[in-house]
Amino acid sequence: MLSVDNISVRRGATVTLHDVSFGLAAGRTLAVVGESGAGKSTLIGAILGLVPCSSGQVTWDKTPVARCRPALVMQEPRSAFNPRLSLYHSAMEPLVAQRTVPDPERLNMLCQGLEIPPNLLSRRPTEVSIGQAQRVGILRALIAAPPLVLFDEPLSALDAVTQKYTARLIAELQHEAGFAALIVTHDLGYAAAFADEIAVLRAGRVEEYAASRAFVEAPRTDYGRTLRDAAFALGALERVA
Amino acid sequence: MTITVSGLSASHSGRTILQETDVTIRPRERIGLVGASGSGKSTLGHALIDKLRAQGERSVAHVPQSPDEALDPLRSMAFHWREAERASGLAPDQARRQELFAALRIEGGDLRKRPWGWSRGMQQRFVIAMALIGTPDLLVMDEPTSALDPVVAASTMSLLENYLSDRQTALLLITHDLGLAACRMDRLMVMQTGRIVEDAPTQKVLSAPKTDAARSLCLHRSWLELPC
Repeated sequence: MLSVDNISVRRGATVTLHDVSFGLAAGRTLAVVGESGAGKSTLIGAILGLVPCSSGQVTWDKTPVARCRPALVMQEPRSAFNPRLSLYHSAMEPLVAQRTVPDPERLNMLCQGLEIPPNLLSRRPTEVSIGQAQRVGILRALIAAPPLVLFDEPLSALDAVTQKYTARLIAELQHEAGFAALIVTHDLGYAAAFADEIAVLRAGRVEEYAASRAFVEAPRTDYGRTLRDAAFALGALERVA
Repeated sequence: MTITVSGLSASHSGRTILQETDVTIRPRERIGLVGASGSGKSTLGHALIDKLRAQGERSVAHVPQSPDEALDPLRSMAFHWREAERASGLAPDQARRQELFAALRIEGGDLRKRPWGWSRGMQQRFVIAMALIGTPDLLVMDEPTSALDPVVAASTMSLLENYLSDRQTALLLITHDLGLAACRMDRLMVMQTGRIVEDAPTQKVLSAPKTDAARSLCLHRSWLELPC
């Protein structure tokens, strides 16, 4: 289980995360939503240990989180890969870092689950579609079987149909592998459909934390309502009559 | 007056990416041009703009996906505004600028600053304001909200629609997101592999899609009602 306990992050005089706490159990999905600048990416950095916390701590099963080797799926799939290497080479990097070799069975299982055809991995990132590249990004994140996977806007570069298809593949793999997923997203529709809980981040603080369906049906804070109504106005969510 | 353009097409490296297409747009229409990535939506938008500009009879303005494509980072916002006025053949007019800035709620923006001195949401509203300077017959917007966060995106669309409500300008919204187009546009053109495969009132497309492309978009419109 991931425990984020009272973490704060300061950058110079500004506090970008303020006393943030939550837990995330294996197999569960938490969506972190909020406006640009709310601290969503800083939170990911803090969990991964890339951004130092000025106070508080992040642990996985009571040990430092880095020890569980969490994985990250990035927003822009094509620029998340080294353009000079084949996708296979990049996707296997987590194993290289752990000094192990790919288990052909696991690789095969993941490729099937992510609908990655066998010849795709021999190509370079610029030679595949954005949707395909993002599926390889997910393959890279899952290849070493991490217990915790962070997704930073994993669908925003994809078109509306591909988004939903990819979201479902992620959910199916999570169901099989049982990893905990923390998804940073702007899209309340995605959060409501695929996350168990939603945390609303505003100016570095958790403004609201609720079960995802309960949140979209009846946000408890004014700000939560503003976000929900924006999703209505953009057609990302539909009003229940 | 209705805009009619025929024989739009485009090819790239010998490959046809836009089949010969005719488009008719009536004043004040709100049209969503939807389709998957690579279906030719943006290409059709550009071909339409180029043709209308070449004909020179109807005025057309374009709002790109990201304000970075429209604004020069080394020039002040005042410079961009003057340039847009000149491009529309208009003399500088303080009152018009104030009206547009008020309509899009960017009165607080400092025109002496360069684009990066403004937030992204304000930059995009400034670009929309520039596009509206000459009250064009047609405004083409290519994924105008995808670079903005939802709260800013929703209010930008509402402000724009309010401003256009008593004007003749037609709006062509290019988007991959049927949800966005369905809740704000009254006619949909669905594209697939370089051609318009369906063109009908929004409610008709939603309730009885005729083509695979439209059916796929409709099935995947709502996050909470996905097919199993």
